[in-house]
Amino acid sequence: MSNAPHILVIDDEPQILRAMRTILTEKQFRVTTASRGEEGLTLAATNEPDLIILDLGLPDMDGVDVCRRLREWTQIPIIILSVRDSERDKVAALDQGADDYLTKPFGIEELLARVRVALRHSAHALSVQGAQSKVVKAGSLVIDLAWHIVKRGEEEIKLTATEYKLIAYLAANHGRVLTHRSILTQVWGAADADHTEYLRVYMRQLRKKLETDPERPQFILTEPGIGYRFIADE
Amino acid sequence: MRNFTYLSRFWQYLLAFVLIASLTALFFSLRNVLDTTLIALLYLMPLGVITAVWGLGPGITSALITFLSLNYFFIQPYYTFLVHQPTDIVILMVFLMVAIVISQLVGQAKAGLAAATASEREATQLYELSTALTGSHDEDAIAQILAKQVHAVAECEYIELTITGARPFVYQLPESSSPARPPELIVPIEAARGLLGEIRLWRTTPMISSGERRLFQTFASQGALALERAWLAQAEARARVLEESDRLKSAILSSVSHELRTPLSTIKAAASSLRGREVRWDSPARVELVAAIDDEADHLNMLVGNLLDISRIESGVLKPKRDWNILSEIVGSVLGRMKHLAETHRIEVDVPESLPLVPVDYVQLEQVFTNLVSNSLKYAPVDSVICIRAQVEEEESIHVQVSNQGPQVPAEDLERIFDKFYRITAADRVTGTGLGLSICKGIVEAHGGHLWAENLSDGLAFNFTLPLIWDGTKPPQFPMDAETE
Repeated sequence: MSNAPHILVIDDEPQILRAMRTILTEKQFRVTTASRGEEGLTLAATNEPDLIILDLGLPDMDGVDVCRRLREWTQIPIIILSVRDSERDKVAALDQGADDYLTKPFGIEELLARVRVALRHSAHALSVQGAQSKVVKAGSLVIDLAWHIVKRGEEEIKLTATEYKLIAYLAANHGRVLTHRSILTQVWGAADADHTEYLRVYMRQLRKKLETDPERPQFILTEPGIGYRFIADE
Repeated sequence: MRNFTYLSRFWQYLLAFVLIASLTALFFSLRNVLDTTLIALLYLMPLGVITAVWGLGPGITSALITFLSLNYFFIQPYYTFLVHQPTDIVILMVFLMVAIVISQLVGQAKAGLAAATASEREATQLYELSTALTGSHDEDAIAQILAKQVHAVAECEYIELTITGARPFVYQLPESSSPARPPELIVPIEAARGLLGEIRLWRTTPMISSGERRLFQTFASQGALALERAWLAQAEARARVLEESDRLKSAILSSVSHELRTPLSTIKAAASSLRGREVRWDSPARVELVAAIDDEADHLNMLVGNLLDISRIESGVLKPKRDWNILSEIVGSVLGRMKHLAETHRIEVDVPESLPLVPVDYVQLEQVFTNLVSNSLKYAPVDSVICIRAQVEEEESIHVQVSNQGPQVPAEDLERIFDKFYRITAADRVTGTGLGLSICKGIVEAHGGHLWAENLSDGLAFNFTLPLIWDGTKPPQFPMDAETE
């Protein structure tokens, strides 16, 4: 039990805290809660949790600021909670280093999926880059990050250099949301960070080559107003 | 003006003299034919005319000249001014009497006429003022009209009109600054509820007469009436707006409370029956109840979202966060999300990939498609076709059509279906807040587009346009196949 991952939930609404504590404890996590930003920052420093779930609408501080202050000293994965229609805040928090987001109200499967992905990525970051993380499988797709090869079944798919850079970045971070800005910076460079249209066009090309139905993608998902998420096998 | 009067007076005397002199010459030539008495009588004619036309002064002067001419030329002894007989005195007296009596009569008639003309002019001016003021419900306009009329009638050098009250202001004519001295006349603008302002008038010559003073007071009270009327009309308009917003608020409240309670009742019933152990752990009803709670929670979330959206659109804070987007991707993502909802209908999509990129807010446009498609799903019969088409129109905008084979909308309601809380069918047949279409309209218009409904031969179509030009920029294009591995 003491090895169970430790989750810190920062939210000002007691009902949400109550529900999260019940659900996460049931799923064998250790849970600490804080209802204010300052309290959350202190608990994060003293308890060193494995994951932080942070509500963006806190009474004492802006959630984006909490995110930034955490990132000044730790890489603990952060999942932010926010209401619908606050894409700007979500993107700001994600660009400040948050790992993922959930829109209230959310289903429990969604919450657990995000928690799993966030914990896995933090484990990767800590581990020596093992060979097994170099191959990402999604359905019949195989993306070999070491050999720079993308295959469907046994058949190799021809990709341009940019397309490969794009799918490699998505696959290496599979399960995680990636903002437009982070993808553009990573693939095209900081100077092109605002050219969302590149992304739109290249993503369409990529979907045509990788997805069975490009209009209803299974692997490369659009996160409206935020960015993209690559879904791989667990 | 005054010099002109002096001049014309001099001319009057001169003309009177000339007239009598020429008649004297005429009579003189007929002296042998005409009797002296007859000549005396004939002299009364020019005398009467002169007095009637030019008044007492020229009249009496003419009487004297006539008497002297008669005496000199026609009464014996000729060529002397001597008065020999008492009858001559009588003639002189008669001439003078005639001049005086006629001038008095004419004078009275003239004065009467002048008074009538003056009062007619006053009536006309008042009529003009009240006509100009009728129908004007704007305080500034009223003040302007009043000042202009007073200025024109008074022919004054400067006028200043002050309106006190909730929105005080000053109107001046001409627009230069007022003379340094105090005004010659101050007329208060007074109405039943007190002093509304005043007219200040500068005019030294001619002095302002009591008649003019009275006229301007009448003008001022006309202005006061118009101002009061304007204020009453404004108050009434405000009351109407309040009443309308009140009516809308109660419509919102009743619609919202009804719509919010429906999912809440389901959730409450399902949750409490699960909690009360009335449903067995392994019963299939349990799965049903849990699914109901889940679905209704989503529904509730959507309702709250819609209410937030409409209030954002109303208050004008709905600002699209534009990016260059692929329309077919948006449509695909919406249909993917609505997959389980859309099983009852056939959905045909004709949104070519070759369309240019559109500068839109991805999330908001998703919502437009979601609302239009779910509206079609609600009203169109099961198994009918819902069609989504898009094409470029004149290179500057994109035209999107979402059509269904549902019931048509009466022509007079085609506009109104986009009104808030407006629903054409009975509210109990179809669920929803009646906000979906107004939200679509709000979003499309915030993008600079236009949304309208149209009856088709076999159903209803929603059309909207989206501009392709964003801040003067055309959609970017990429030579995608230029780069190969």
